[in-house]
Amino acid sequence: MSLTESCRNELRTAISQLNGRCLYSAAKWAAEQLVGIKQDPAKYTPSNTRFQRGSSSICRRFRTNEISSTLVAGVSYVSTPVMEEDEVVDSDFYLLAKSYFDCREYRRAAHVLRDQTGKKSVFLRCYALYLAGEKRKEEEMIELEGPLGKSDAVNRELISLERELSTLRKNGTMDPFILYLYGLVLKDKGSENLARIVLVESVNSYPWNWNSWLELQSLCTTIDILNSINLNNHWMKDFFLASTYQELRMHNEALTKYEYLQGTFGFSNYLQAQIAKAQYSLREFEQVEVVFEELLRNDPYRVEDMDMYSNVLYAKECFSALSYLAHRVFTTDKYRPESCCIIGNYYSLKGQHEKSVVYFRRALKLNKNYLSAWTLMGHEYVEMKNTPAAIDAYRRAVDINPCDYRAWYGLGQAYEMMHMPFYALHYFRKSVFLQPNDSRLWIAMAQCYETEQLHMLEEAIKCYRRAANCNDSEAIALNQLAKLHHALGRDEEAAFYYKKDLERMEAEEREGPNMVEALIFLATHCRAHNRFEDAEVYCTRLLDYTGPEKETAKSMLRGMRMAQSSFPAMDVEHFPP
Amino acid sequence: MAGILKPPGAFAVTPHKVSVCILIQMYAPPAMMSVPFPFSSVAQHNRFGLYLFALTKSCEDILEPKLDELINQLREIGDVLYQWLTDQLISRLSSLSSPDDLFNLFSDLRAILGGTDLSAVDDEQVVLDPNSNLGMFVRRCLLAFNLLCFEGVCHLLTSIGIYCKEALSSCSAYELPCLDDSSNELEALSEYENMDLENIVFEKVNKEIEARKKASEEVSFHLHAPKALFGLVEDIKVSAVSKSQGGDKCREASPSAHAPNDAMREFDSISGAFLRTNWQMQGYLMEQADAIEKHGSSFSLNAFELILRQLQKLAPELHRVHFLRYLNSLYHDDYFAALENLHRYFDYSAGTEGFDFAQPSIGCNSFGRYEIALLCLGMMHFHFGHPKQALDVLTEAVCLSQQHSNDTCLAYTLAAISNLLSEIGISTTTGILGSSYSPITSIGTTLSVQQQLFVLLKESFRRAESLKLKRLVAANHLAMAKFDLTHVQRPLLSFGPKTAMRLRTCPTNVCKELRLASHLISDFVSESSTMTTDGAFSTSWLKNLQKPMGSLVLTQENVSGKDSNAFQFCAQPSSIPGSVLQLVGSSYLLRATAWEAYGSAPLTRVNTLIYATCFSDGSSLSDAALAHVKLIQHLAVFKGYKEAFSALKIAEEKFLSVSKSRILLLKLQLLHERSLHRGHLKLAQKVCDELGVMASSVTGVDMDLKTEASLRHARTLLAANQFSEAAAVAHSLFCMCYKFNLQVENASVLLLLAEIHKKSGNAVLGIPYALASLSFCQLLNLDLLKASATLTLAELWLSFGPNHAKMASNLIQQALPLILGHGGLELRARAFIAEAKCLLSDPSFSVSQNPEAVLDPLRQASEELQVLEDHELAAEAFYLIAIVFDKLGRLAEREEAAALFKEYVLALENENRQDEVDPLLSTP
Repeated sequence: MSLTESCRNELRTAISQLNGRCLYSAAKWAAEQLVGIKQDPAKYTPSNTRFQRGSSSICRRFRTNEISSTLVAGVSYVSTPVMEEDEVVDSDFYLLAKSYFDCREYRRAAHVLRDQTGKKSVFLRCYALYLAGEKRKEEEMIELEGPLGKSDAVNRELISLERELSTLRKNGTMDPFILYLYGLVLKDKGSENLARIVLVESVNSYPWNWNSWLELQSLCTTIDILNSINLNNHWMKDFFLASTYQELRMHNEALTKYEYLQGTFGFSNYLQAQIAKAQYSLREFEQVEVVFEELLRNDPYRVEDMDMYSNVLYAKECFSALSYLAHRVFTTDKYRPESCCIIGNYYSLKGQHEKSVVYFRRALKLNKNYLSAWTLMGHEYVEMKNTPAAIDAYRRAVDINPCDYRAWYGLGQAYEMMHMPFYALHYFRKSVFLQPNDSRLWIAMAQCYETEQLHMLEEAIKCYRRAANCNDSEAIALNQLAKLHHALGRDEEAAFYYKKDLERMEAEEREGPNMVEALIFLATHCRAHNRFEDAEVYCTRLLDYTGPEKETAKSMLRGMRMAQSSFPAMDVEHFPP
Repeated sequence: MAGILKPPGAFAVTPHKVSVCILIQMYAPPAMMSVPFPFSSVAQHNRFGLYLFALTKSCEDILEPKLDELINQLREIGDVLYQWLTDQLISRLSSLSSPDDLFNLFSDLRAILGGTDLSAVDDEQVVLDPNSNLGMFVRRCLLAFNLLCFEGVCHLLTSIGIYCKEALSSCSAYELPCLDDSSNELEALSEYENMDLENIVFEKVNKEIEARKKASEEVSFHLHAPKALFGLVEDIKVSAVSKSQGGDKCREASPSAHAPNDAMREFDSISGAFLRTNWQMQGYLMEQADAIEKHGSSFSLNAFELILRQLQKLAPELHRVHFLRYLNSLYHDDYFAALENLHRYFDYSAGTEGFDFAQPSIGCNSFGRYEIALLCLGMMHFHFGHPKQALDVLTEAVCLSQQHSNDTCLAYTLAAISNLLSEIGISTTTGILGSSYSPITSIGTTLSVQQQLFVLLKESFRRAESLKLKRLVAANHLAMAKFDLTHVQRPLLSFGPKTAMRLRTCPTNVCKELRLASHLISDFVSESSTMTTDGAFSTSWLKNLQKPMGSLVLTQENVSGKDSNAFQFCAQPSSIPGSVLQLVGSSYLLRATAWEAYGSAPLTRVNTLIYATCFSDGSSLSDAALAHVKLIQHLAVFKGYKEAFSALKIAEEKFLSVSKSRILLLKLQLLHERSLHRGHLKLAQKVCDELGVMASSVTGVDMDLKTEASLRHARTLLAANQFSEAAAVAHSLFCMCYKFNLQVENASVLLLLAEIHKKSGNAVLGIPYALASLSFCQLLNLDLLKASATLTLAELWLSFGPNHAKMASNLIQQALPLILGHGGLELRARAFIAEAKCLLSDPSFSVSQNPEAVLDPLRQASEELQVLEDHELAAEAFYLIAIVFDKLGRLAEREEAAALFKEYVLALENENRQDEVDPLLSTP
């Protein structure tokens, strides 16, 4: 049996087991991967090909180095035996409880299972209690919201659950699912180290529960923690690693991992979306757009991750595509934070910032910790010139995730708008620290230093230099560097940067005032240093432009010619042969 | 303060408030006679009312007290009634078993409020005035209850259940309906487990109560107080540590608080913990802010941080917490945390208080007050010794406050800048407020720093006065006085009608400014400062309950006079805000400094002592340290080093970690002086080097310290007879002082140069320096320094030979009154010796005729020098004595003096030779 085939079998069993325990989202994820596994060409069934036709094209287009082999290549995976169910046939009580659970009557479900001792029953009972507690917590959060935003609502089941589960663990009667639940409870209670240990145990003995991996991921906040945990080398680990790398902003590593996984799970929508996410973080919008188009073709009712697609469309100013997307997600499920965010983006693109704020607020009402909505709302407030509100929104984003460089950048911008450049520098410094390869951030910081109030030109030059080194797409840095050096009287450096800027503009075939500026400086500079030939070249190029510069160039040319014609004559006079 | 007005929603009904309401009901039961049933006298009844009043106002903590704490407090106010009151309270609370009971309770409560028409009420009846404090409280509770939705009522019921259960779980009769009580057997089991544990707790409580009753001693006993504080914090170990650290603010943990219970309760306390009202929390935070400032880094960082973290968890929209965290980390020198919290605070609150969560979309027309953020940031940089950044930020603040026409902030910012300029030496003005946009400097950028400082001060002062910011006005007066003290005033503007050059400081100006500053207190009486005082008073009253003394006074039921005494005694300290006290205190300190400069030692001492005795409890720690430093310096100069060092030891213990640098500096100064006197030059050099390290520019340039270090360096070189090196150092020091306009220091440097030349035998060169110094002293009114310069001049003249002895003697006679009145040991001894030398070298004076005229001053000098441990001068004195005795032919006495002379010379040589490490130096 090939590894692909075993993957498939493992997943099939896992799906039914996960469904049996009401772990629906994990089952959903597993099923997506199951369908995502590439078929052996020999065993195509018509239905499979129909589903996978669309995505095959994208695979062709984007996989330059085709990874022909599947996961087997070079890596030996630990084969984890598929867990045997201890109760082959579920008891009647269990069936009743599961039905209650499916109807979201959690407490009832738990009550039905009160005397059952099978592991599966124990798990479902605890899980139902946990969810009941969570549900009550959510309700209380709104009921109890005090004047100071106090929301001390807690899951009241946690303490009894923890007590029960810890005794179970002491007795050693825990299956991986109960372990997962125990980890969940421990994490909610704040004992993270123990939670991590328990979750690792859970995924090592039953790797197909994606929920468990996700919980573990949320506990791996640094690369050191990630390296310190001891995981079996199962193929699910690769999914986990890729996803965790992405969280830790190691986008290239994540991308490599995902592309590797695509060798086996070539048709997985999940993988495609994740790859798009990584590419989005690397600012490769073109590719992201293509991926999303494909994704939507295969899975037209998808809402997950679509807010990122809308960001790309926003950046590319695709009005109609964005409105189409907004309409589609709106009809699919309008009360999803992603949907609200997409609509907000659309209004923002249309310049209707008040409306866009309304939708971002709605998104935040649905999910208070929705990071990008806070940041985007901050952008809207900046557009509306409501800086305090913008600052508040950005600050909330930053407090949710201190690594969000966009929000730090937004904070800096907001303060700069209020003419507080020194204060703004603090924020720019933060954002540059998190994203040192983004020229826009460096340029913003340099502009701060350049302001009349601070006038710290040396620092500005340093920042522009950094910006120029990291592939400044808008080509501001070179020009500014030249200008600053010129202003500081360092003509050699200024000439160097003007020349570089000129080369770049030539390469990108751009024209504009910068070109004229560079040419005229270089012409004067060369003439001053008696490099008349170069000067002549620049002057001649200037003649192509209209305006006063043309006249200047003409007169310079004339002057140089006269000088050149007179110099040799003098030589002849003084030193006759 | 605008932020204190709370929105109506901020007042939530909590179990504690319910119990206070019940108590109020007992205090004023409807339709009862003047003294309601359980109370036996009016005084008792009144005290109970006072207690209730304090309960509604106190702000010593962020959380409301638990039921058992309340019961404990009840016990304190009267043990006869205690049983009855608590029984009533508990039975009423525990009888609340359905939402309807709550409705009934609150509708009964309405009955105790009197109508608006008070005249109709019978005199004898106890009726709560709806506009009194308690009446308001009841009304607010009623209103808040009426606003509750059904869910809210259910939650209240649940939390009352927990509130009671925590205190009295022994009685299983109090089984309260729990809303989300599931019939799950496991949970039920766990409930019983809980019960069991709490039974044990209660038994312990009972035992303790019995033990207490037997011993009948007043031990404060709080079972749950610290747990309520730290229950939320993740790590129990930390909380256990912080209990002991909590010290002054957190009440002491009872030893009977045991660990297993902690773990159990950790969860309950989340639902059982209720924040006080905004108003009370505000008061608490303000008190804490004062405390942080007062105690500096001795204020426990972690304990307070824990409280703040908990507060933040419970009230995420209370942004002031971030500010407190900023303060906390600022005073513990945690730069990054301070920076982070400062930014966070202003990001959230935009400089306004930010208590009520205003939706950012509403009321967005205001710009926020970010200029305050800049002001704070500037002060922070200043605190951490980054003058350049501080100046940048403050300049930005000036711009922004002008843009937003926030004059108050502008005044404060200008004051801050002038403070910065006066404390930190900056020689060039370019780059400081130099750019054209700054309107302050539109007068011209050619001004020196001092002139700029003066302009800034004036400007700040003008604004503060027109805005009626009294504290700022006072602070400005002080700053002005400081400026007048050390800087020579010149006409500021180079254009316009030229006033006569007035190159001198004005003692009268200084005095005037200082007087004006202390008028603050009288001004303040008229100003209302209700909030702080009120809350603080209530808290101190409540705290007093726990002091054995307080409860003794309070339990004497029939002496009502004593009650009011206690009342006033507690209320008194807070009638003047701490910041005002602090300002007044520092005016005294500045007076001391002024007198120090003008050369009146007794007045310096008196002023410092006034400060130390009257203002020490209100002062910031660094000010207190300064006062101690001054007193110790005084001791060293007048009583010798032995006493100074013993005093220093006490001071070091007192200011253990706080203003270490100041005390350390003093120690180094004393060590240096002593080793110079003893002739222990290596040690002197070592100390000098350490001073140099302290003056290095790592933590911002402190000009005073820098001049001091190099002055001492020059003196060490002088003592080692390396004249040219000493002169070089002194010269460069003079140049620096000139550059930075430090005229007072210039005078002493010139004097030092004169001394160097005197000692090197170049008296001719020395005289001009001495004369220059003298004229400086005259201009700046530095009397004591002038006297010492005169003395040096006399010594210089003396060294020209006997012809000039008359001249020298005249000079000495001139200076002698001041020296004898205000001079220290060394100066006096030098004057005596010089006087004797004059006489001895005067050809018209014969020793044999009037030996006492010479011997008397010499004896005095030798005594003083012995106290001072100045070996070199003492040797000289004894040498002279020996010569005099020799001339008189009193051989025995001559031998005695000669032996002493030898002893001192040997000691001097010994000190020079031996390189033993001073035990005092090895300690720091």
